[in-house]
Amino acid sequence: MRIIVHKAKCQGHARCSAQAPDVFKLDDEGYILPGDIEVAEGGQLLASRGARSCPERALELDPTPAARVVPDAIEPRVWRA
Amino acid sequence: MTINAVPDHVPPEMVRDFSLFTSPGMAPTPNGDPHAAVACVHAGPPIFYSPYNTRDGRGTWVITRAADQRRVLQDAETFSSHRSIFSSALGENWPMIPLELDPPAHGVFRSLLNPLLSPKRVVVLEPKVRERAITLILRIAASGTSCDVMKDFAFPFTVSIFLRLLGLPDHRLDTFVGWAKDLLHGDDVKRPAAARTIVAFIDELATKRRKEPVDDFMTFIVQAQVEGRRLTEEEVRGIGVLVFIAGLDTVAAAIGFGLAYLARNIKDQDLLRREPDRIVLAAEELLRAYPSVQIIRVATKDIDFEGAPIRKGDYVSCAAMIANRDPAEFECPNTVDLAREDNRHAAFGYGPHRCLGSHLARREIVIGLEEWLARIPAFRIQNATAPITSGGHLFGIENLILDWS
Repeated sequence: MRIIVHKAKCQGHARCSAQAPDVFKLDDEGYILPGDIEVAEGGQLLASRGARSCPERALELDPTPAARVVPDAIEPRVWRA
Repeated sequence: MTINAVPDHVPPEMVRDFSLFTSPGMAPTPNGDPHAAVACVHAGPPIFYSPYNTRDGRGTWVITRAADQRRVLQDAETFSSHRSIFSSALGENWPMIPLELDPPAHGVFRSLLNPLLSPKRVVVLEPKVRERAITLILRIAASGTSCDVMKDFAFPFTVSIFLRLLGLPDHRLDTFVGWAKDLLHGDDVKRPAAARTIVAFIDELATKRRKEPVDDFMTFIVQAQVEGRRLTEEEVRGIGVLVFIAGLDTVAAAIGFGLAYLARNIKDQDLLRREPDRIVLAAEELLRAYPSVQIIRVATKDIDFEGAPIRKGDYVSCAAMIANRDPAEFECPNTVDLAREDNRHAAFGYGPHRCLGSHLARREIVIGLEEWLARIPAFRIQNATAPITSGGHLFGIENLILDWS
């Protein structure tokens, strides 16, 4: 399972990392680190719970990474929101 | 001041007789439930115009659906946060920072302040928070079998945590709470007077810390650099004032509403006392059911929103208590379910202005509930007393007399 991280939408609620700290790593300001996340077998339940906890909808579950052809090409905005 | 004006561009059929100030249940009410009272808007349209929806009687558009509030609050370009709420009480117009700055300036200050209240930082603060809760609760437990939770626990607890954060002495707690009460709930004479007092206090504190730095928040602010320069006096004041008033009322209200719910729902109270591991999740549900804040934005341009002709300068209200009762977002939104999962509530707002203190607030609420339930036996609202609740720009609970005799 993969989690698509829409970094520009992250506003630092940190609900994901409260659910699954090993899956969702935060920077020093408390916002998610950039880059999609590959979830190891066994971590999927907590990881999907974490993804579903985002009030901004910044985390998207992608259960079939192979089917995903277009990567998220939008650059994060320069200013931290 | 324009009172009860409906601007010409608002179609009359989009005006509703509803506001967080004037609707039934919004005035101070014994045994009131202002959060349930506002949930009625979900029987109506997703957006409508409320003619009296600010303290000064201005109208606002009201966004009812959580998804639409998310859209508004995430779009800071169209919906500005620069309203000078505080300084306008003084006839001035400097922003509280970062709340009343829009991107990109907002991000600069937000990045400066985020590490001070990050989840990591809150872990470091936690032992002091817990110690403070325990001290207060032990004192209450030793002195009888009833107390006013707001006066004896919720306010002294939350305010002292945050005074410590600011590097301010505990013995002035009552003074600070008094200023905040006058500012947030006072009349047209008390409000500007309190605002002036708070500004003078913050300015003086900043001057002191510039001369004699210590290890505290204000010293950090006066020494900080943004974009290669020190902060201006107005910026220091904008940050100091925001942090001062943001920490004073909201967390205490959350603890009050939460304990009032548990006092009325003994089964839930017993369950959390028996299985304290449930408190973290339960606190989220209490935040969903009983949030405090109505967020207002100003349209920066004309936009048609779900059929509503929002025009530049219009106020747009995103009330957390309304989003959090949206049946499209939450199953059975008017039922408090302490085991609710996937609880993406709006108590701390959406978008770039997400409450900077949310991580600390959450810990305070969880710790407050944990230590209260561990040390106070089954409690109820004392006979012949009634907590007084109110709506308005900040939903609140004035008193909560609990009895465990």
